[in-house]
Amino acid sequence: MKKYFYEFLKGIIKENPTFVLVLGLCPTLAVSVSVINGIGMGIAATFVLLGSNVIISLIKNIIPARIRIPCFIVVIATFVTITEMTMKAYSPALNRALGIYVPLIVVNCIVLGRAEAYAQRQTVLKSLFDGLGMGVGFTLALILISGIREALGSGKFLGYTLTPRYEPAFVLGLPSGALLVIGLLLGFFNVLKNRKE
Amino acid sequence: MSVAQFLTIFISAVFIYNVILSRFLGLCSFVAISRETKPAMAMSLAVMFVTTMSSIITWFIYRFLLIPFGLTYLRTISFILVIATFVQFVEMVIRKISPPLYRFFGIYLPLITVNCAVLGVAVLNVDMFFINGKAIPGSFYYSVFQGICVGLGYALAMLLMSGIRERLDLCDVPKAVKDFPLAFIIASIMSLSFLGFNGFKF
Amino acid sequence: MKNRLIVSVSPHLHKDASVSKIMWMVVVSLIPAGVAGMFIFGVGALWVILLGVVSALITEWIVQLFAKRRVSVLDGSAFLTGLLLAYNLPPRVPFWLPIVGSVFAIAIGKQVFGGLGQNIFNPALAGRVFLMASWPKYMTTFTKPQNFDAITSATPLAALKEGKVLEGISNWNLFLGIRGGCIGEVCIFALLLGALFLFVRGYISWHIPVTYTVVVGLFTYIFGPRGLFSGDWLFHILSGGLILGAFFMATDYVTSPLTRCGQIIFGIGCGLLTAIIRLWGGYPEGVSYAILMMNAATPIIDRYTKSRIYGTR
Repeated sequence: MKKYFYEFLKGIIKENPTFVLVLGLCPTLAVSVSVINGIGMGIAATFVLLGSNVIISLIKNIIPARIRIPCFIVVIATFVTITEMTMKAYSPALNRALGIYVPLIVVNCIVLGRAEAYAQRQTVLKSLFDGLGMGVGFTLALILISGIREALGSGKFLGYTLTPRYEPAFVLGLPSGALLVIGLLLGFFNVLKNRKE
Repeated sequence: MSVAQFLTIFISAVFIYNVILSRFLGLCSFVAISRETKPAMAMSLAVMFVTTMSSIITWFIYRFLLIPFGLTYLRTISFILVIATFVQFVEMVIRKISPPLYRFFGIYLPLITVNCAVLGVAVLNVDMFFINGKAIPGSFYYSVFQGICVGLGYALAMLLMSGIRERLDLCDVPKAVKDFPLAFIIASIMSLSFLGFNGFKF
Repeated sequence: MKNRLIVSVSPHLHKDASVSKIMWMVVVSLIPAGVAGMFIFGVGALWVILLGVVSALITEWIVQLFAKRRVSVLDGSAFLTGLLLAYNLPPRVPFWLPIVGSVFAIAIGKQVFGGLGQNIFNPALAGRVFLMASWPKYMTTFTKPQNFDAITSATPLAALKEGKVLEGISNWNLFLGIRGGCIGEVCIFALLLGALFLFVRGYISWHIPVTYTVVVGLFTYIFGPRGLFSGDWLFHILSGGLILGAFFMATDYVTSPLTRCGQIIFGIGCGLLTAIIRLWGGYPEGVSYAILMMNAATPIIDRYTKSRIYGTR
C-alpha cells in the first residue's frame, strides 16, 4: 500500500509536472485567468491522465514498439473526446471558457509523457496512482497560478471580491501576466531548492 | 475575400494572437529549442511547413469527410492522427530523398507531432472559418493563409528569443532564474510589447 | 568633437568616460525637460518624479543586497531609470503608480537579467508598458497644461485617433509643450536642448535618433488621412513621446545595436513600428512598444551586422 501512496505523492511535489518537469504549459498558462477555469482544466486533464495511464498499461503487451506513439495518441484522443463531449453537455459555460484548450489536451506533454515514461512499463495499479498523482499535482499547480492571477488581476478569488480598495492590475489577466507569473514562480522554487541543498 | 481580411489575419496571427506569446501553443518546444539561433530556425521552418500542410489537409478532411457524414465529434482524433501520420510520412520522404535536409531538421520533425501549435491551428481554422457546419466563403484560402501566418509568428518569436538567449549566455545571470524562468520573463516582456498592435485596424 | 565614444569591437582606445559618468551626464541632460514639465503641469509633476526616482533607488539597493551582488545604487543607472519612467507618466497619477512602475522596471526589467549592462529591454519602458497594461485608466488620463484644477484633456495624438478636431494647438505650442501629455515628453525645446548637450559631448551618435524621427515623419507624410503624401508630418514628430523616446531611450547603450549599420536598422525599425501603431493601431501612441520590440530584435541585429574581424573574410 505504501508504495502506491508514494506513486501518488510524487506527482504533487517531487515530480510536479508543472514546476519540476516543466511540462504541459500551454493549457496551464492559457486557462489560468480564473481559479474556476483552472480547476475545470485540472479535473479534465486528471481524468484523461487516469484513463490513458490505465488503458495503456493494460494493453502494453500487445502494442508493437514501433507504432506505440500513434497507439498512445489514439487512446488519449478517445479520452479527450469523451471529456469534451461530457463538458459540452453538462457545463457548456466552462467549455466555452476553456475553448480550444480542451481538444488540445491530446498534445499535452504530461499525458503523452506519462504514457511513454511510465505507464507502458508499470502495472495497472501503479499507473493508476501515478496518473492520479500527476493529475492532482497539475491541478494544484493550476490553482496556485490561477489564484495569483485572479487575486492580483481582478481582485477576486473564485469570483468573490477580496477587498474593494485594491485596484486590480489588468496585466495579470493578459498572456504576458501569465508568462510573468510562471517565470517568477519557477525562479522562486529554484531559490527554495538551492537553499535546501 | 479581400486584401484587408488577409492583412487582418496576418497581423493578428503574427503579432496580436502570436501563437507562442499569446496563445501559448508550442511553448514547450519554444523554451527548449530557443537556446541557439540555428536549431531554432530549423525548428521554425519545420513548424511553418507542417502548419501550412496540416491546415490544407485538415480542411479537406473536415469539409468532405467529417461534415457530410456527421462525424464532427471525431475532429480531435482524426486531426491528430492525420497530422501524426503526415509528419511521419514527411520524415520518411526527406530521409530517402535528401539526407542533408534530413540532418538539418530531421530530429525536430517527430517533436512537431506533439507540438500544440499544429493541432491548435487546425482546430482554430475549423472554429473560425466554419459556421454552423458550413464553410464560409473563401474559407479554404483563409485556413491556408492562417496556417502560414501562425508558422511565421512562431518563427518570429523563436528568432527573437534565440538571439536574446544567445546573448544572455555570455552574461552573469542570477542562478535562481537561469534558463527557464528567465526565458518566461523575457517572453512576458515581449508579449507586453506586442500589445502595441492591439486593436489594429487597417 | 563628435563620436568620441563608440561601443565597438577591439582595438579599444582609452577615454576617461566611465559608465557612471555617462549615466549622470544623461540625467543632467534630462533636467531641462523635467523643469519644463513642472512649469507646465505644476508641483504634482515633481512628486511623481521624486517618487519614481527614490523607489527605483531603493529597489536597486534591496535587490542587490538580497542577491548578494555588489551594491551600485549610486552609479546613476537606477536614478536614470526612475527618472525616465516618471517622465513617461501623466502628471497626476496616484502615488503608488510610479512606485510600482519603478519596482517593476528595476527588479524585472534589469536585475533579473543580472543588472546593468545585461538587460535586454529598456527597463524604464518595460515599467511603463507594464503600467499601461495594468492600469490603463490612470495611464491615459492627462491634465490640461497650466491648469492647476486638474481638468482632464486628451493628448493631441489621442484626439487625432478619436477623430476630434484639434483645438487650435499650433506647432509652436507643441514645440514649447503647451499641451496634454506625459511629464517629460511635452516640451520638445527642452528635450532638444538636452540632446544637443549629449551630442556635443559625444555621448550619443546621430544614427538612431535621426533615422527614427525621419522615418516617422516620412511614413506619416506618405500615408496621410487624405490619400498619399498628405500627412501632417511635423505634427507627428512634435506630438507624443517621439523626441523623448528617440533621443533618450532608443539610444540606451545596453539595449541598442553596437555598429553604425545596426543602429540605422534599429532606428528605421523603431520608426516604422511607431508610425504603423499610430496610424492603424488601437493605441494613440506607439513609441514605447516600438522601442521595446526593437530591443528584442537587437541581439539578432548585432549578430548580422558584426563588423568583420581584421584578416578574415
